[in-house]
Amino acid sequence: MGDFSEDPFQMDDDFSASLHIASSYSDPIDNFTAATDQAQIRSRLAVLDLEQFPEDADDAFDEGEHKKATEMAQASLVNQPNHPLTPPENFAPVVNNIYRSSFPQTTNFSFLERLKLKSILCLIPEDYPDTHHQFLKNQDIKLFQLGLSGNKEPFVVISHELITEALKIVLDPANQPILIHCNRGKHRTGCVVGILRRLQQWSLTIIFDEYRRFAAPKERPMDQQFIELYNQTEIVSFCQERNYLPLSWD
Amino acid sequence: MTEIANGPQVTKITRPPKLRIIPPLNFCPVEHQLYRSGQPNIINQSFLEDLNLKTIVWLATEEPQEEFLDFCSQHNVNLEFVGMINDYNYNYNSNINPWDTLNDVTITRSLEIIANKENYPLLVCCGMGRHRTGTVIGCLRRLQNWNLASVSEEYRRFTGAKGGRIQVELLIESFDISVIEVKEETAPEFLVEYRT
Repeated sequence: MGDFSEDPFQMDDDFSASLHIASSYSDPIDNFTAATDQAQIRSRLAVLDLEQFPEDADDAFDEGEHKKATEMAQASLVNQPNHPLTPPENFAPVVNNIYRSSFPQTTNFSFLERLKLKSILCLIPEDYPDTHHQFLKNQDIKLFQLGLSGNKEPFVVISHELITEALKIVLDPANQPILIHCNRGKHRTGCVVGILRRLQQWSLTIIFDEYRRFAAPKERPMDQQFIELYNQTEIVSFCQERNYLPLSWD
Repeated sequence: MTEIANGPQVTKITRPPKLRIIPPLNFCPVEHQLYRSGQPNIINQSFLEDLNLKTIVWLATEEPQEEFLDFCSQHNVNLEFVGMINDYNYNYNSNINPWDTLNDVTITRSLEIIANKENYPLLVCCGMGRHRTGTVIGCLRRLQNWNLASVSEEYRRFTGAKGGRIQVELLIESFDISVIEVKEETAPEFLVEYRT
């Protein structure tokens, strides 16, 4: 860990403050907006010189690895027509029609079909592979993408605004059933679920316990701090206006 | 020190702190209206009320706490003592070892309860919500046609720092799921779907 030249408890930063949220399935204008957003995130990240703080190997999306896994999966499907269901790693229901998981692989598609998802919230900035776009199209699933950078000490932190946007998407009944995922389903997804638990007024101790269960063995104190210190005023009033609260178990 | 001199002042915490909902240890939703956890405590009461439970499958070998029994009778929750079946059915009488795993009889009984939508909303729990609960949920996942590696991943997520027990995973793997009858009329939606 390097020296802190900034306040280590400063959790917010502005590099995504003015982004718009675009679903990648709609007209070309929206795709254009999404692309601009992507470019903006990347340019802001470039300023931070991320090379100095390489992503955790677990958090980085490895296209080569993904391709290999896809090929292997397809090969195994040919040999095994009646294959057992494979949920994505770290899959679990969160509450009612909200689910969480790691980055779904093609092997997980038959499992995901059964959830009858209306939308997916993807928390990584990388583009979805073609196989996945095809799946979304076939299943008529709407994709929301919010490129969150994970909490990396000392400088790269999850943006509060993006988390608020994420929750607005997740809590909207029009988008449910919805699956939240990042790469491993540990850190970024864990933060979103943690904040959602705060909206359910869960005790912080239990929220942390749940966060650690899914993040093990790579729990990050920064993420837990984030969950605790996140200012929920905006999302709470958003929810109250729309009668989303209390989030009761149906 | 003065308090001790005047006799011990034991105050039992009977309420959660203001505005904090406390789910039981290792709580997690499994499917729609099906939940898993460790033994609920009095501080989990308001959370449990929100779940509107109809049935709790109790898998531990020991009796639950008195307050928990009170809660169940007050809220008309049907408590199924599956974990203690050994005791009643086979007259083992003595030597009930909490380290013994469940067996085919207890797992079958639990899954029969889970496979009947009459019993929902339903909570499956044991002392810590790790191994016994994990065994039953693991067998349920196999009934749902999950592959064993995914079943194991889920089981181990709830076992804490000491990790999973091979014995439990062997039990999940060897359990004969064909003995569980899933009837379309009585089974919860998620089980019917997975079978078709």
